[in-house]
Amino acid sequence: MKYLFQNLLKTIPVLLLITLIVFLLVRVTGDPVSLMLPETATEEERESLREALGFNEPLPVQYFTYLGDLVRGDFGDSFRYNTDAMALVLERLPATFELAFASMIVAILISVPLGILSAVKRNSFFDLFITGGAVLGKAMPSFWLGIMLILFLAVNVQIFPVSGRDGFQHLILPALTLGTGIAAEMTRLIRSSMLEILGQDFIRTARSKGLKEGIVVNKHAFRNALIPVVTIMALQTSTLIGGTLITETVFAWPGLGQLLVQAVNLRDMSVVQAATFLIAIFVIMSNLIADLMYRMLDPRIKYD
Amino acid sequence: MAEKLMDIKDLKVRFKTEDGFISTVNGVTFNMNEGETLAIVGESGSGKSVTSLALMGILPPNGEVYEGEMSFRDKNLRTLSKKDYRALRGNEISMIFQEPMTALNPVFTVGYQLRETLIVHFKMTKQQANIRGIQMLELVGIPDAEKAMGRFPHQLSGGMRQRVMIAMALSCNPRLLIADEPTTALDVTIQAQILTLMRNLKEKSNTSIMIITHDLGVVAELADRVIVMYAGEVVEEAPIYELFENPLHPYTKGLMASIPKVHDVVDDLYSIEGTVPNPANMPSGCKFHPRCPLADIECTKIHPALEYVNEGHAKRCIKV
Ligand SMILES: Nc1ncnc2c1ncn2[C@@H]1O[C@H](COP(=O)(O)OP(=O)(O)O)[C@@H](O)[C@H]1O
Ligand code: SF4
Ligand SMILES: [Mg+2]
Repeated sequence: MKYLFQNLLKTIPVLLLITLIVFLLVRVTGDPVSLMLPETATEEERESLREALGFNEPLPVQYFTYLGDLVRGDFGDSFRYNTDAMALVLERLPATFELAFASMIVAILISVPLGILSAVKRNSFFDLFITGGAVLGKAMPSFWLGIMLILFLAVNVQIFPVSGRDGFQHLILPALTLGTGIAAEMTRLIRSSMLEILGQDFIRTARSKGLKEGIVVNKHAFRNALIPVVTIMALQTSTLIGGTLITETVFAWPGLGQLLVQAVNLRDMSVVQAATFLIAIFVIMSNLIADLMYRMLDPRIKYD
Repeated sequence: MAEKLMDIKDLKVRFKTEDGFISTVNGVTFNMNEGETLAIVGESGSGKSVTSLALMGILPPNGEVYEGEMSFRDKNLRTLSKKDYRALRGNEISMIFQEPMTALNPVFTVGYQLRETLIVHFKMTKQQANIRGIQMLELVGIPDAEKAMGRFPHQLSGGMRQRVMIAMALSCNPRLLIADEPTTALDVTIQAQILTLMRNLKEKSNTSIMIITHDLGVVAELADRVIVMYAGEVVEEAPIYELFENPLHPYTKGLMASIPKVHDVVDDLYSIEGTVPNPANMPSGCKFHPRCPLADIECTKIHPALEYVNEGHAKRCIKV
């Protein structure tokens, strides 16, 4: 508990730094006033809008105003939609979570059995096939895989819908697209972690006790092999929260990534800031959870 | 005459490596009787562990028995089904290993690892297995056994872990306990404690013990009979008294000469020059000839057979 609390405290400076960087980045890329007013607007009209939005204040003043609002939970309004920026972002969260969760499930369902099997049958034809497949899976661009899946499973054979988000059916192709890439990485990781563990003395001990090979592999070995894998899994999850733009675009999936890129293009500052802030929190949380799971799985690590 | 417990005849084991197959156990023959303690001695690399792993049916994935016979009680181990072999392992034949630091699974508690064997072989409930586990820990002299059940291996010292291994191996009352260098990795004082423990266990139970060691001090402490192995072969076999009184094979004599006079500073002090040959490149004739003080031209040509000189005493040498 104390450990968790300390780590939460440590995240505050990280979050502050992120808000500062994002704050500066959205401002050096140009102010949104020109996009907010019609082309016919006069320079005076622009100037008065700048004044009204506070863009004429010195940057430090603007930053601290922003921070003050942030602490009160106010991320400002979207220039584009004239509504609360955080509300816009939160609206996208369920779609993002849904896709991230489903992709992770796909990745786990593929990588755990394949990783274990190719380690157990190392250097066999099966192992070569899986290892080769994993290299391909990692090299394959996600937009290409997404388009191929659409082509084959939504257009040629109309099993799944092409795009959008409307129930479980819609989730499958984008989750497969994202999950496959992650599975490729995780399969390789699980394989090499399992290979290392299977050579350990305690595996010989487990066999000498007369345990079934399935128990030796799936319990005694996998439980150890999982320790390094969990960290990578958590990192992958955090990239799923913010970085699924390409897949979201291919499948017209209304997630956070899509909103963020739109907002960047429109210089919708408040939305950019709110979205990045939330993504940062999720990344930090995933790391914390990874760390906690790591400690839970490995009794050799002490809490302090 | 005691009843025969197990029998190994002309056992050969090979490993698949990048340079093809290498044979590291080359026709090992010996047997054990019920209640007997047999020591297998020989320098590191002579094939002692591989022989015992073959007997347990747990050779590494690249290893295989490619010739010979192995039987345990009335069972032919070479034709035994996987399932029946599993039923034997940890139950009728169990094993403790050299490295107590790495032989226990780091992510499971001592209790879990102890209970597991009992649940598999004796179909005990978790509670029953727990009670039996605590008894076993007490038997091997672990203080506060109940608490120790909840400990993880890294929380115990090397000596305590080896005691846990012994408790685990004995929990199903095996007919045969194979102890592969159980004290080698431990401090001298702990070594003595573990040996005392094993001697007590030997006296109290009728479990037969196969103790593998390169330490003749350990042999003298525990064994009834001794097998000396060199380069994947048995080079001498003798009752303990015979072996110390009248060692025949030059290799055995070399081992004897290197025993320190004071027993409690036992250490590897082999005075035999040279090293165990590489299994991929075995000498012709007698495998010991490059290191043997008695070797002559004949020894480089003739591969001696294991011959009995009298009841229970055999040697593999043409000169003695
Ligand atoms: N998995 C393996 N692959 C290849 N060679 C092995 C393997 N395990 C053991 N060996 C070889 O078998 C020989 C005998 O080893 P071992 O039985 O462990 O000797 P020791 O008498 O010290 O117990 C050694 O030369 C060793 O290198
Ligand atoms: S056969 Fe020759 S080389 Fe081999 S042990 Fe006897 S004397 Fe030595
Ligand atoms: Mg050994």
